Amino acid sequence: MATRGEFLEKIRREVRRAPGLFAASPAARPDRPTEAAAAARRQMAERWPEALERFRQEFERVNGIFHRVAGLDEVAGVIGDIAREKGARELVAWAPGELGLDLRPSLEPQGVSIAVAPTDGRDDARRRHREAAARAPIGVTGADFALAETGTLILISGAGRPRSTSLLPETHVAVFDRERLLETLEQVGVMLEALHADAERSMSGGVISFITGPSRTADIELTLTRGVHGPKEVHAIFVGTR
Amino acid sequence: MKNPVRASLLVTCLVDLFYPEIGVAIVKLLRRLGVAVDFPPSQTCCGLPLFNSGYHEEAARVARRMIPLFSGSEHVVVPSGSCAWMIKKEYPGLVGDDPAVGAQARTLAERTHELSQFLVKVLGVTRVETDFRGRVAYHDSCHLLRGLGESQSPRTLLGGLPGVELVELPGADECCGFGGSFSVRFPEVSTSILDKKIANIEKTGAGGVVACDAGCLMQMSGGLSRKGSPVKALHLAQILAGSASS
Amino acid sequence: MTASSRFGERAAVALKDAYLQEALTIATTKFIGLRKDSFAGFPEGEGLRDQARAIKEATLQKLDHYLEQVADNVERLGGHVHWAATAEEARETILGLCRDRGVKMAVKSKSMATEEIELNEALERAGVTPIETDLGEYIIQLAHEKPSHIIAPAIHKTKGQVADLFSRELKERFAADPEVLTAAARKELRQKFLQADMGITGANFAVADTGTVVLVTNEGNGRMVTSLPRIHVAVMGIEKVIPSMTDLMVFLAILARSATGQKLSVYTTLVRGPRRSGEVDGPEEFHLILMDNGRSRQIAGALREALYCLRCGACLNVCPVYRQIGGHAYGETYPGPIGILLTAMLKGDRAVKDLAHASSLCGACQEVCPVGIDIPRMLIALRHRLDRERIAPLGERLMFRIFGRVLASPALFRLGAALGRLAQRPFVRDGRLRSLPLLFGRWTRSRDLPPLARRTFSERWKDLA
Repeated sequence: MATRGEFLEKIRREVRRAPGLFAASPAARPDRPTEAAAAARRQMAERWPEALERFRQEFERVNGIFHRVAGLDEVAGVIGDIAREKGARELVAWAPGELGLDLRPSLEPQGVSIAVAPTDGRDDARRRHREAAARAPIGVTGADFALAETGTLILISGAGRPRSTSLLPETHVAVFDRERLLETLEQVGVMLEALHADAERSMSGGVISFITGPSRTADIELTLTRGVHGPKEVHAIFVGTR
Repeated sequence: MKNPVRASLLVTCLVDLFYPEIGVAIVKLLRRLGVAVDFPPSQTCCGLPLFNSGYHEEAARVARRMIPLFSGSEHVVVPSGSCAWMIKKEYPGLVGDDPAVGAQARTLAERTHELSQFLVKVLGVTRVETDFRGRVAYHDSCHLLRGLGESQSPRTLLGGLPGVELVELPGADECCGFGGSFSVRFPEVSTSILDKKIANIEKTGAGGVVACDAGCLMQMSGGLSRKGSPVKALHLAQILAGSASS
Repeated sequence: MTASSRFGERAAVALKDAYLQEALTIATTKFIGLRKDSFAGFPEGEGLRDQARAIKEATLQKLDHYLEQVADNVERLGGHVHWAATAEEARETILGLCRDRGVKMAVKSKSMATEEIELNEALERAGVTPIETDLGEYIIQLAHEKPSHIIAPAIHKTKGQVADLFSRELKERFAADPEVLTAAARKELRQKFLQADMGITGANFAVADTGTVVLVTNEGNGRMVTSLPRIHVAVMGIEKVIPSMTDLMVFLAILARSATGQKLSVYTTLVRGPRRSGEVDGPEEFHLILMDNGRSRQIAGALREALYCLRCGACLNVCPVYRQIGGHAYGETYPGPIGILLTAMLKGDRAVKDLAHASSLCGACQEVCPVGIDIPRMLIALRHRLDRERIAPLGERLMFRIFGRVLASPALFRLGAALGRLAQRPFVRDGRLRSLPLLFGRWTRSRDLPPLARRTFSERWKDLA
């Protein structure tokens, strides 16, 4: 079995004796990512209405279902409607601290039980929540970014914000507000550079998931089907006044 | 009185041996356009069939023989996108270090033009008088299209002919399946690619398919003729020269 | 006798398979249209392709540095890095992990790298059950076949064939309806995701600056496989490392467009080591296997540019040869134009003795490649090596030497033409050659040939002068 040293030495040798094919550089990175991210946020504070409209178009183009409410207090209502439509009696959700709201007070009285993600990492809590996620027809998350260019939701995992919430249930609902909107992949790059430049935040979650519409395949005779392994339906609820 | 444009014809092995009428058409066409055409003797081949199959020493030997034949030429006109590509793109790398012909190779590369490019880009000709009549479809030869980046000049020339109806060929930019030795190494695959091309040609209802490469013409006419199809495969020069070439 | 020496036979079989022919035409035509439309509405696309190509070249120029950086960062995030010089070492690493960790069942997300090292067979021999979860891969695993396309592995199968397959394997009758069959696969594989001990993936990219391993998928199995089992192993060719997150965005902007015409695939998953404390989901252990397996030899080699490959499959879709014969006829892990180069890279020149010629050199591949790989140039270079290394048959090499002499000598050229005109006389019918002996018969089997002209152009010139 090659050691790291032997492995790398071989490559070093080959790199040294190779004439490159042409002069080339990697992409130019922001010098000060944190400032660049702040600048992008300031820019988006102005441009969020256009970005939202573009997001809606692109999200719907990839078969996402878009909703808009004026305030957080209306979110539970939309989710309740979705649950009723699907005949769903339970759902899983990110922990209230991560989601920005607690759905239990509004929805439990309507007969929808809600399993919120634990934050303590205890094995029994994890197992119970995993089982709930595997059963629940609906999963509710927030979104760290909403990318307008492609209709993509970007979710960073972590304590209280499991991956399975947006993965196992047949319906995924993501709730976000104007501060999450970005227009271009390039801006996403800036945000991710800034995330990693921050020592603490860079260690936050084990995965960052870009989600662009419901799960799909065309592997059988090129016929498009949705909901292969991941959700069949993805909803985005934008919270914000006009 | 202006000095006439002088051009040497590099006739290519396929035209020399199998389609001399294409060479005749080019000479008559260019003369009609006021070009003084000469034909350096002792031409054989540009060496592409050897080069593409990996026989680079042999291709270099052929190149070293061909290059000096054109040392006095102001312009070299070639009725083939693939041969023009070989000379313009590969000769400098193949024999560029050769003390005898290296510099000449680079000069030749600059001065060589595929026919349609010579007519449109060097002579500035877009309208030609011809007595050819009929509906034709144009096939983009791979080396002319992708090697030399040329898709417009032949269409400009064909489109400017009053008696000719140019129809767009579906999959015009798809290979005809010739590929030089590929056509005999893997004849069934080559023919199945050709069958697709012929099906597309027949869809257009054209009486002729036009190309700027004798290899493509040999492949397409080979399939059309075997089918008993009345569709003819013609070189651009034959359309532009019309009956004057026979 | 290597696999590729039967290429001609396999191609002939493929050409006679009417369903395959239709499936290939429909699938490749569709992908071509999707890609074209996607880039037509994307003017920045050309510039991004140039940039992507430059990033790949720049990375190769300091590959050791970036590999070191990615390894350090993966370890900093709590992952383990393994250095596999060969396919054997990569397999052994995974088998060792299975042994040590008591792995009985592994779920796999689509990975060409694991096909390359024939991992599934090795796992089975070691008593570990590998389950392919990408729908197309699942189908061919049940059918005991190899994939026929890099991104659509089962395009050669009809829905009827898939229904029969599922009915047999899952012991239940299924209608030949893609929705029904997809739902069946979802249900069956959901159990496997939840029960598996290990998840195995490839990697589309690994970002050196952050230690992030990136998976580009559509079905969700990539997310499942990296979130549910307790161990995640990613097998990655060394050429997949890229410098930074900023570079990643350039590739993401063009990869899905090139492959399927989507702006982005449904899921782009950025894996950052094992799960953090407090997380419900995510593996306890993350292992990245950096694999060489013949790649480093090409850094200074003739196939260096092939190391840029993103495995998008765009070149397959436009290749006139692939479009006629499909992936299986190539007989190797990687089919299509780039597949010929990758086969030479992984197995040596002898393995492409026939495959190197399975191309008309039309250049359509290079035209659509998101990183502009000049595949035709490298195919010609391979052909040159087959002669230099005496791998090409002696008869062929002699014939080309003679041919070369004739073309280099006007006198021999004229003599050859004269002899040819004589020899062809008995075969000329209605101004055509319809049936010729020997090598020429390979042409006339299916096509007519014009006869050599009675007077060559050179001989007619004096009448024109």
